[in-house]
Amino acid sequence: MKRFELVAVLAASVVCSAARAEDSVTIGVHASFSGAGAAFAEGMLAATDFAAEDVNKDGGLEVAGKRYKILIKQYDDRYRAADAVTAMDRLMIQDGIHFVVGPMGSAAAVATKDQTTSGKVITMTLAFTPRALGADAPFAYRPVITTGEFSDPQVAWLAKNTAAKQVVSLLPNDETGQQIGVANFNSYAKAGAKLQVEYFERERVDFVPILTRILMKADGLELGGNSPTTAGLILKQARELGYRGPVFVTGGDVAAEMLKVAGKDAAEGTYVHLPIDTSLPDTAAYVTRFKAKYGQNMNGFSPFFYAGLQMLFTAMKKAATVDDTTKIATTLDGLSDVPTAMGKAGWTGQQKYGIKHQIDLPFYVGQIKDGVVTKVATCDVNACR
Amino acid sequence: MSMDIILAQTVVNGLMVGMIYVLMAIGFTMVFGIMRIVNFAHGEFYMVGAFLFAILYGSNGMPFAVSVLLAIGATALLGLLMERIVFRRFRGNELNGMIASVGVALILQNSALLLWGSSARTVPPVLSGVLSVGGIVFPWSRLVVIIGAIVAVVLLNLLIGHTRIGRAMRAVAQDAEIAQVQGIRVDVIFPAAFVLGVSLAAFAGVLMAPVLSVSPFIGLAPTLKAFVIVVIGGLGSVPGAVVGGLLIGLIESFAGTFVSASLSEILQFLVVIGVVLLRPQGLLGRKEREA
Repeated sequence: MKRFELVAVLAASVVCSAARAEDSVTIGVHASFSGAGAAFAEGMLAATDFAAEDVNKDGGLEVAGKRYKILIKQYDDRYRAADAVTAMDRLMIQDGIHFVVGPMGSAAAVATKDQTTSGKVITMTLAFTPRALGADAPFAYRPVITTGEFSDPQVAWLAKNTAAKQVVSLLPNDETGQQIGVANFNSYAKAGAKLQVEYFERERVDFVPILTRILMKADGLELGGNSPTTAGLILKQARELGYRGPVFVTGGDVAAEMLKVAGKDAAEGTYVHLPIDTSLPDTAAYVTRFKAKYGQNMNGFSPFFYAGLQMLFTAMKKAATVDDTTKIATTLDGLSDVPTAMGKAGWTGQQKYGIKHQIDLPFYVGQIKDGVVTKVATCDVNACR
Repeated sequence: MSMDIILAQTVVNGLMVGMIYVLMAIGFTMVFGIMRIVNFAHGEFYMVGAFLFAILYGSNGMPFAVSVLLAIGATALLGLLMERIVFRRFRGNELNGMIASVGVALILQNSALLLWGSSARTVPPVLSGVLSVGGIVFPWSRLVVIIGAIVAVVLLNLLIGHTRIGRAMRAVAQDAEIAQVQGIRVDVIFPAAFVLGVSLAAFAGVLMAPVLSVSPFIGLAPTLKAFVIVVIGGLGSVPGAVVGGLLIGLIESFAGTFVSASLSEILQFLVVIGVVLLRPQGLLGRKEREA
């Protein structure tokens, strides 16, 4: 009898644990938690954490009459393509995950594209390279606005408002830096200005030798495409060398971190890409929530990933499945005007990337004045006003 | 800007970076010369020193001199602890010691990440503004680095060349067993050398904190540079570290200013390859004796 009871208890526990496993969906976070881009990675993780928290506090994500608890599994790719492939393998094979927030860097996105496509894993990348999206990657989405979207309208607005004609730019010598360099060069040419791009190895922290040379004939300094820390260091060192011309950061959300690194005086007057509008109540609430939980200023990309996950969860509900990623992706493609923390969002990019997997939201130009970023223009892919 | 001014500016830039490399490389090469350990955790002590200074001086507004002493002192204590727990067991065991040092580096870096977060910190400059001489701009923050590093190297030279413990260190570096036979307490000299090396790294971190920024990841690049420099100058050679550090600093500055940043990295490694091929013991290193 005792043996029978033991078997029954074991069988019940197996059934219970199987049921528990079935009632959860795990979201992988694949980003560079170590290195200069760690602030981006933490923003991505926080967005996933908040999205999971919100769903779980209501009893889970209701899909086809069942409720699924959202779990999170994270891996660090250390900003290296080889490590990115290993991390993605672990997420897909070891953990059996179908949904990934990441990859973060362009090199990582390109390196893992074949893996995630063949494994039908839905990814939400931060990679700025145009190669991150395409008809050959039907499961890759980008919930952030990239250089490809904001470069032309922002540069046109900056060239018109500052009269800079000879602009120099410093960018890391990797996939991300080179893609941004080409995009920025073309945007400045269209705006009637010349951009000289200088590449450096990502580990570099002393830019004075390069700045000594390139600032001699420049009337503008472009720092878009650098990590917040690097942008701040370059700005600080350029000001130390006596450069007083305009500084543009037409990429990323670097303002808060750059201000910390460069200091208020060096950053004064700098034009920055502003990905979010904190006058929107939901966006402001997200910013406050981040600050309250993590005790530091939020990286501006974070709410985009939260919005991307809101869209993903909406697609899961509509597709009535948490397993069939083909069906979920097809449903996700068809979503438009989805209410998110960033306003109503949809997808764009058919013409540019051959697939509508680029998030469609407005963006802004800000200027640092007395240590505070003020919105000076609102933009879409056509123009800034 | 005329060519003379650019040249002078380039030399100053090279000297500043070179002097920091010198401080890093001296500590690195001392630990190798005396303990025969290639300490890849050396840059993490630079990071810890910079962080402590950023907290004391930058965040808590403590007086500069007190912050410097406390930051170096606390890092030295951490170094002593690491020597006791880890490095002591690997004296003379170059391969295992090197692997252990990589482990210590990862532990220190990730501990800093957990303790202080990934966000970069800035430290207000000790002296702000620029010194302009005949059109050449010298940021005061960088001049402080050069002066501080020169003072440290001179003091170290006096310590090694003219004190009892310095002479003991040189004797142990030459032959630990013979030194012990002569009555030198090698069990004291080993940790003393390690702590001195760590203190130099911490001082380099303190000097650079106001010029650059401070984050848990700043230690790797100086470690790699220190390694390159001691290969050029000669493993275990303090004068070699000085020559190698200044050489790399100037190459970096001249190549970065007149050619390109990427080429400056290539040039440094070409110099390393050239030295290894033509003079394997380094510019000022001694040949290992055949058994």
